[in-house]
Amino acid sequence: MTKDELKDYIDTHYQDKMKFLDTGRFDLMYEVTKENLLEVSKALRDDENLKFDFLCNLGGADTREHFEVIYSIASVTKRLRLDFKVVFPYDQAEIESVQEIWPAANWYERETWELFGIQIKNHGNLKLFLLPDDWDQGYPMRKDWDAPDFIRMPEL
Amino acid sequence: MTPFILLELQPVFVWLYNLLKKIGLSGSWLTIVSYAGLSLIVFGLLSVVALFLVWWERKVSGHVQQRYGPMRNGWHGWYQTLMDGVKLLLKEDVKVVTRDKAVFFWAPIIAFVAAFVPYVVIPFGKGLIVADLNIGILYILAVTTFMVISLLMAGWGSHNKYALLGGMRSAAQVVSYEVPMVASILTVIVFSGSLSMVDIVNVQSGLFFNWFIFRLPFGPIAFMVYITAATAEANRTPFDIPEAEQELVAGYNVEYSGMKFAMFFLAEFINMFTVGAIATTLFLGGWHGVILPSWLWFFVKTLLVVFLLMLFRWTYPRLRVDQLMGFAWKFLIPVAFANLVLAGWMKYARWYW
Amino acid sequence: MGKLRTEEFIVNMGPHHPSTHGVCRLMLTMDGERVVNVEPYIGYLHRAIEKICENRTYPQCIPLMDRFEYVTAMSCDYAFSLAVEKLAQIEVPERAEYLRVIMLELNRIASHLLFYATTAMDIGAVTPFLYGFRERELIIDLFEMTCGQRLTYNYIRIGGVSRDILPEFVPKCREALNIIKGKLSDYQGLLNENPIWKARTKGIGVMSQELAVAYGVSGPNLRATGIKFDLRKDDPYSIYDHFDFDIPIGQNGDVFDRYLLRLREIEQAIKIIEQALDGIPEGEYKTKIPFRFKPPAGEVYSRIENSRGEMGLYILSDGSTKPVRVKARGSSYNHLQVLPEVAKDCLIADLVATFASFDIIMPEVDR
Repeated sequence: MTKDELKDYIDTHYQDKMKFLDTGRFDLMYEVTKENLLEVSKALRDDENLKFDFLCNLGGADTREHFEVIYSIASVTKRLRLDFKVVFPYDQAEIESVQEIWPAANWYERETWELFGIQIKNHGNLKLFLLPDDWDQGYPMRKDWDAPDFIRMPEL
Repeated sequence: MTPFILLELQPVFVWLYNLLKKIGLSGSWLTIVSYAGLSLIVFGLLSVVALFLVWWERKVSGHVQQRYGPMRNGWHGWYQTLMDGVKLLLKEDVKVVTRDKAVFFWAPIIAFVAAFVPYVVIPFGKGLIVADLNIGILYILAVTTFMVISLLMAGWGSHNKYALLGGMRSAAQVVSYEVPMVASILTVIVFSGSLSMVDIVNVQSGLFFNWFIFRLPFGPIAFMVYITAATAEANRTPFDIPEAEQELVAGYNVEYSGMKFAMFFLAEFINMFTVGAIATTLFLGGWHGVILPSWLWFFVKTLLVVFLLMLFRWTYPRLRVDQLMGFAWKFLIPVAFANLVLAGWMKYARWYW
Repeated sequence: MGKLRTEEFIVNMGPHHPSTHGVCRLMLTMDGERVVNVEPYIGYLHRAIEKICENRTYPQCIPLMDRFEYVTAMSCDYAFSLAVEKLAQIEVPERAEYLRVIMLELNRIASHLLFYATTAMDIGAVTPFLYGFRERELIIDLFEMTCGQRLTYNYIRIGGVSRDILPEFVPKCREALNIIKGKLSDYQGLLNENPIWKARTKGIGVMSQELAVAYGVSGPNLRATGIKFDLRKDDPYSIYDHFDFDIPIGQNGDVFDRYLLRLREIEQAIKIIEQALDGIPEGEYKTKIPFRFKPPAGEVYSRIENSRGEMGLYILSDGSTKPVRVKARGSSYNHLQVLPEVAKDCLIADLVATFASFDIIMPEVDR
């Protein structure tokens, strides 16, 4: 299916769970709420016409207003691509793990926890990963993280 | 009669012996001095040979890999090995924290000595042998197993779990490849009728078709089995699990540095030369050959076999440990023994020349 | 005579390795000879590229992305440029696209030659190491002629390439490709039929199709299991749809298939480059982008087929000169994650062979 057909398909079948966002400049971008995350992921993977079985990317983002966790998924058998994200404010920084659905998500979620501080429920292995074992200086990828040798470049 | 016959060395040694008699030594003193002198000459010769082999391995590996190898120290790097030896002498001798200091200390020495001892019975040329024991080849087989003891001592004395594992694994490899080696040597002995090295060489006199390698059908098979088993004895690729273990867990000589390591290293190269020397004596006709002096033929043939071993190392990947042992026990040993039975039957039925 | 008590012990395959996989620490739990569990510890090469990118303008991020995976630095430059071009809807002139494809495929050949060299050395044959690097020198000389650098190129920029190729590039490139084509048969003759090589690589490190897709494995590792999936054909970018090439696949998903597949991919890459060299159009090599480059607000995830697999870049922009979030996704991250599953119950030598055949490059994992 082409991108328009995919958009129509998702709008008809998942319209109450996935909200279309206009920010995707190339692929479709949807927003999913935290409660619907697992259900939507499972449905996207098991849907006979979509079969999104390949998790391309999972990462956190800190826009200066809220946290986001973006998921990029693809289908190996049908040539489809989709992105969706979960948005939540700074003080509710926890999310369910999707590693039951896409096992590749294990390390990605571990890294998101480590660098952003977003708690992942049902993960089972949240240990320090990229950072040194004795790291105690906070969550580096947050926008309000600072360190003595982190120099901000001047605005051009 | 060509002029090169004049370069035979046996008359030189006979003249030296007579010189010693003229000086006034007699009886047991004469024996002791003459044997000590010969041993020193062989030792000196072999040390030079070891240095030469190290240089030659580096040149061969370089040219196989389409590069030059050592080029700076002398013409094409001929004294590179001497410089490496000097460097190893100047290295810090790392002291290992172990209770068995004697075991750690003596392992490289035993390896080094065990590498030289077989040369007492190897015929370097016509009449050029230190001692013609009538159990020559049996003596060599007995003495080369000292290497196993030194491997185990090195593994144990290093006080390192992984060195011990590596040492035990290499000991298992050496011991299992002894069996096909002995079986292939026995094939030759069946036909020579004697264990003495000089007799084995004499059986191969005459035309070069008399060499054991050309005596079909058991000759080539025995030669190939011997070369394979001896490559494993010398811990060379494709059987170099003890050396390659250093990729992951430690090999048996990881805790050694400086001169101790140099002793293991040189012992390995002397072992390689021993493999070549035995192959030459048993299969390639010893020192027989036309035109050139006999000792030159011996060295040419031995270095050819050593060259073959070096080519093996730089061409083939490494075997896994269980594949290596499976190859020895499930393939080489049946082939070697079948070959031995065939040779024995041929000798009994007088189907040979 | 009771049962002998055996104990599992832990071996540390430390951060340093003899071959150039990079700094990766594997803690192996071993029961005698068998490996019961593998646990990778990463982070030795973490340089916080993503955090630094948030503090740099878009053109300043490109040299950083070179270091994201320095063996195939052209692909990293290209992935970033493609993402920004999609974000800002920039048109790239056709000559630039042809040059980009030539550079990407040359980089693919260089990377696969490095794979051949290091894998053969890990399994014990040392000579192919020298052969692979000797051919790689030919390609790196071409890169040096074009952009002055041997490893981190900073050549593919947003909107095109940074400079035009010299006139002697095309004949020299053809000559290098002819030499490599001739040597490929040498490489295969040395190892393909060798019984020791086959005993060490056939049936070792088998990865099933379901495991591969579930763990996000891509590239030659995925194709070796039998799934015909290549982003150049299935999700085409740049001008790959103008060229005619095959996608080799394997059957069993073992080490031998992965090795042979990459050698076949070198042949296909040579085919693409020859077609591209025949058809380079004249024209501009770069679209001019403004000095204070501000793409519109939005987000994009673009993915390309790197030599190792899928390399993806997610960029979130809010309309200013610096990106809000850059997430770089390297394929080796997923491959290292699937290594414990594939290497269950194998011997150490098999683990070394499997690890080498995955073609994992640590800077991609650690960023």
